[in-house]
Amino acid sequence: MTELIKTPRAGETLPVTAGKRTNPLANVFDELVRFAQSRSLFMLHYCTGCGAIELPPAMTSRFDMERLGIQPMVSPRQADILLVTGYVSVKTLKRVILTYEQMGSPKYVIGICSCTVNGGMYWQSYATAKKLNDYMPVDIYIAGCMPRPEAVIAGLRELMENIRQGKADSWKDYYRHYDHYLGHQQRLFGETWQTPTDVISEARHYGLFGPDTLGTHTALLEQHQKPLEALEMKVDIPELTARR
Amino acid sequence: MTKDLSTWLDTLLSELQGIEVRRKSSRRIRVDVQPDALPALLELLRGRASYVHLSAISCVDWIEENEFELVYHVWSYEIGSLVSAHTRIARNPGVYISVYDIYTPAAFFERDIHEMFGVFFEGSPDMSKFILTEWDGPPPMRKDFDSEAWVNAHFDFQDYQPDWLTEIEAKGGGVAVRPDEQRFSRRDVDAS
Ligand code: SF4
Repeated sequence: MTELIKTPRAGETLPVTAGKRTNPLANVFDELVRFAQSRSLFMLHYCTGCGAIELPPAMTSRFDMERLGIQPMVSPRQADILLVTGYVSVKTLKRVILTYEQMGSPKYVIGICSCTVNGGMYWQSYATAKKLNDYMPVDIYIAGCMPRPEAVIAGLRELMENIRQGKADSWKDYYRHYDHYLGHQQRLFGETWQTPTDVISEARHYGLFGPDTLGTHTALLEQHQKPLEALEMKVDIPELTARR
Repeated sequence: MTKDLSTWLDTLLSELQGIEVRRKSSRRIRVDVQPDALPALLELLRGRASYVHLSAISCVDWIEENEFELVYHVWSYEIGSLVSAHTRIARNPGVYISVYDIYTPAAFFERDIHEMFGVFFEGSPDMSKFILTEWDGPPPMRKDFDSEAWVNAHFDFQDYQPDWLTEIEAKGGGVAVRPDEQRFSRRDVDAS
């Protein structure tokens, strides 16, 4: 499972292989961590479309998702999985991206329903975004209109298996190719589009800053980015006060 | 009782000038009316004939006749019947008067029609954006808005020739009819 590395002589640097730590014990530890991670998943079900109706049966007594170690969670900060359950309109997509960026890493995205794959039966609609993976990295798609709870559970099990094997790391892709994702977002939302999350700094923090993190689109973002400020509180509703 | 009321209503409507009344069934009446007479008709229906509930205002785009058709559906709880008042306005510039002062819920429907068809209602309390708050294209329900062209310009579709599919096809499975062959628009292109 793990291989012992020749002890380097003085002055030599330790050889580092990608994805594996040089300490033999760390590998064992990593595997344990991944196993533990795959057995304790908290999912945020952002109920975007009609496919969301299959989730209550998947969660409750008949199919009982909790026996797999998966639990619903109400806030993005505490969730590992973002379930996008159905068509995402352009307006909703903005909120989905905001939610996704708020989640702590590692994070996984599951696109449920044909609508997230390719627009589904809304392929011709001006309001529905096709192809969710243009805007954020998707780990698993569960196709169907709508997929049965069995399919949802099969998809989740596949994700668990991927996590255990260390294959579910598409979240890293968001940092490494941020320019690509931002480009698609800007195409839809206009060039002034921005989120409160500083993805580029986060990429540096996680050590995932790649050659495609920055690019023409992030340059555009920098031009338009406004510094974050607290929201102003207003209680004045002119229509109401005028009528009184 | 109900029968008496509907007879009474028929008499009332037949007295009015310049409108065409068609009784579709015992509970449904279609009235075609000139745009300048519509507010008066609604006033009458609401004030004297107990049609107090405006269920909906719908809009139809008759692009060939260059007209919008506005349909006001009003309901009476007492008679249990629905009157649909149809009127046609010019598509250009597409301006009409609001019936907000007669039926308050009209504000909601008028705002919606303004957003979806671009009809402007004079005197409506609020004509600002409602559902499509982040939309900057033309009113999408107009017949001359080409939804598919807009989609093709703004979105990409999934590739239906991926590698994993060739593997499945080698085993005898795969996609029976590819979506791009199935689309109506594509069928027309291939046929002509
Ligand atoms: S795939 Fe079907 S069930 Fe799912 S969101 Fe689309 S229309 Fe609804």
